[in-house]
Amino acid sequence: MSITRRQFIKRNAVGMASASLLLPELFLSRAYGQAAPNPDRKILVVIQLDGGNDGLNTVIPYTDSRYYALRPNLSFKESELKDAQGQSTIISDRFGLHPSMGGLKGLYDAGRVAIVLGAGDTMLPSGSHFSSRDVMHTASLDGNTKGEGWLGRYLSQTLAEKTGVRALAIGGGLTKSFDASRAIAAAVPNFEAYNFKTDPLYPGNANNQLNAFRACNGESFAEGSFAGSIARMGVEAAGTASKINSAPSRYRSTVVYPTGSNIADRFKMIAQIILAVEEAELFHIQFGFFDHHGRQIPADRNKLAGDHAVQLKELCDAVKPFYNDMAEHGLADNVTLMTWSEFGRTARENGSLGTDHGSSSVMFVIGNAVRGGLYGQQPSLESADLDAATNPKTHVDFRSVYATILDGWLGVDSVSILGRRFEDVGFFG
Amino acid sequence: MTNLSYDEAAHMFRRMGFGGHKDDINDLVARGREGAVDYLINYEAIDNSALDSTFRPIDYANFFQLQKMWVSRMIRTRRPFQEKLVLFWHNHFATARTKVDLSVLMYIQNETLRQHALDRFDTLLLKVSQDPAMLVWLDGLTNAAGRPNLNFARELQELFSMGINDVVTGEANYTEKDVQEIARAFTGWGYKLKKKNKDYAVFKLKGADHDNGVKEVYGQSANFSGQDIITIICARRATARFLVKKLFDFFVYPLTSSPQDKATIEKFADVYMASDHSFKATARAIFASDEFFSDRARFALIKNPLELILGTIHMLDMPFDTPAAAGNNNYYVRSQAMGLEIFNPPDVGGWELDLGWINTATLLERYNFANDLLSRRALSSAEFGVPVVTIELLRRFTDASPQKTVENFLFALGPLKVSPETLGILTDYLQTNDAGERVEFVVDDATIDKTVRGLVRLIMCLPHYQLN
Repeated sequence: MSITRRQFIKRNAVGMASASLLLPELFLSRAYGQAAPNPDRKILVVIQLDGGNDGLNTVIPYTDSRYYALRPNLSFKESELKDAQGQSTIISDRFGLHPSMGGLKGLYDAGRVAIVLGAGDTMLPSGSHFSSRDVMHTASLDGNTKGEGWLGRYLSQTLAEKTGVRALAIGGGLTKSFDASRAIAAAVPNFEAYNFKTDPLYPGNANNQLNAFRACNGESFAEGSFAGSIARMGVEAAGTASKINSAPSRYRSTVVYPTGSNIADRFKMIAQIILAVEEAELFHIQFGFFDHHGRQIPADRNKLAGDHAVQLKELCDAVKPFYNDMAEHGLADNVTLMTWSEFGRTARENGSLGTDHGSSSVMFVIGNAVRGGLYGQQPSLESADLDAATNPKTHVDFRSVYATILDGWLGVDSVSILGRRFEDVGFFG
Repeated sequence: MTNLSYDEAAHMFRRMGFGGHKDDINDLVARGREGAVDYLINYEAIDNSALDSTFRPIDYANFFQLQKMWVSRMIRTRRPFQEKLVLFWHNHFATARTKVDLSVLMYIQNETLRQHALDRFDTLLLKVSQDPAMLVWLDGLTNAAGRPNLNFARELQELFSMGINDVVTGEANYTEKDVQEIARAFTGWGYKLKKKNKDYAVFKLKGADHDNGVKEVYGQSANFSGQDIITIICARRATARFLVKKLFDFFVYPLTSSPQDKATIEKFADVYMASDHSFKATARAIFASDEFFSDRARFALIKNPLELILGTIHMLDMPFDTPAAAGNNNYYVRSQAMGLEIFNPPDVGGWELDLGWINTATLLERYNFANDLLSRRALSSAEFGVPVVTIELLRRFTDASPQKTVENFLFALGPLKVSPETLGILTDYLQTNDAGERVEFVVDDATIDKTVRGLVRLIMCLPHYQLN
């Protein structure tokens, strides 16, 4: 295992202070470079498609006549399932990716993409964004969504053997999935502002500022109090800011990410942090506005210009360079991506060229470790199988997907995180 | 008259406004508890005309101008509770410009909230529902007979009035079927934009798009209109309870599901029911209550970004801007970086309060705002949204005794109560040179410009200072 600059400095600080003077220059320059891949490193990037993604128009059942009957305006015909370059997005004799998802098609063909059909919440389904999200963040079994997130429980449980900046929410605020009683996750909207500034006129006073800040916030506060949570997080933020914000300055890559794309920017940030912060293992991106009650396609019926299409395209066009970036750094085997959304949409389109809150949707799991293909079960769209709001059935519980990732990727016993055994969906091994 | 202490009056300004300065706090103390609550709540009696006239030239169609205008109003108003209440309603009826798109509609909604902020809840809910921003935001405009759109019907019940489950009994307040039927009652709603002295909108029912059939709602069947549904919802006790809970969570302390807290909800839900759904009566009862003035309530919430930013300005009595530069501040940018972009809540659920404001990035923003504020010595366009802290201002609080200096600032910025250890750390900071050696605290401009500035910044980085 190679030594990183940070470990190097840390180890020096605890007792090898003078040894650095004797180290050969070659060693030093390597220590300042990027970490060599650690074959045991397992990174999970979770992408939340916020608002309720329309699974039926993401993985399109192009042979299902009911799909066309329920969606006279929103549906894509088989002949329309090709990307902007004219390449087919059909992935099986029944399904095709939305035509704006061409960026993912190559990875699918290479066997790197598992698609879980009919995935949703079989235990506590809700038409509420907020209830559904909370349940999916926490993997709650009984509707109680206070307390730790599902990945927060993983962080807490493995705290004894793993420390440092392990979990980062990128591009916005923190995610409830990372809420943990003991571990602290970072929220990094951008690198530029992610620092602890001091008065520029008196740089010599900076240490006094930081020391007094740490001392005041390092006091003990009442257990569970707001002050205690704030103080703990504040010390963590100030103490790890430079480790995180220095990531871009150490990053080298030939991969070009799309410009003007919010999610591509965030995938690039993740790549930079993965390379700079060796202990970083969990990332979360909250992306988009998938709550398409209206304008899922525009009034002129140009379906590829609709909000849904544009966002799917942005997502897939960002995943591809990220994968290439990881591959360029020898890390493609070390990263798995997973998407989720709080629910799917009604099978029937509404009168606003949109769809209302639904039930099951599709989940994607992507990476070299993944055995690509179709998993789960496509729900029937026959009238008798839909509820009053035209919601199809949910066949795979999202907790099964979490369990498969916990057991098969993060290497912990999923029962200890989720509270009971869930079926292995089978996309690992 | 019930006595009002200085600390209690400061608490009132933090909760019912955006922080107060010593002179304002003393003025409130002299009014006693009821008098102070009435003074702040009966804000329509306070002449604010000078403020309104300063905003005339602002182009409401310009979104950044609109954001600046509202923040400027929050700072400059003589009716702090009015703007705080509009912020409460903006969070309650969370509507975002990202989808509404037209800034002028956000402006019209803001005016609607201000106009009806203390009204009967029935009136407020109806006016907001008929307002163009909401009709765009939750797809009311395309909700038509035979092709209902469920977006508004769901959030009307889940977020704007009752919640999914009764906050006291836990019973379900409505079914999915109610969502579908209620959507039909609101079909055909639209608006017309007008311009006279200012932009405004008129509600319009598009008859051909309205579903005149019988709808079955909460077990009753009739040809309900949208207004009928709002009347029915506002008469339900579940709505009274939900509103009380939202008021407590925003203004008093976070409620738990304990029997004691449920009894508290019931007590104020009774006021809502007995006062014909008067929001003002309900709010007055809460703000004058022992609960509001209890130890439990004191510093029990986490400051939202605007409370933090504007509170600092008010508490230190800083010159924030001049009438000539009305609206010309960038505080909204700082607030946005801390997680609160006005007119752009994250979604229809609004902002998550308390710990929802806190993560590593927003905390760094809070610390850096404090640093930018205190290291600002002259006006410059390089730094967004921070006024100048002058030597004169700092001198007012600085004492020959370093501990007294710390205490003076803790008093002005709260009053904040800290542990003897914290007091010691801050006092030591004033007496430490760059080499880390202990030196004597000498009150001169050089010390004030360096160490006292640093002290105020450090106080603003205390966890206590993040609390409201």
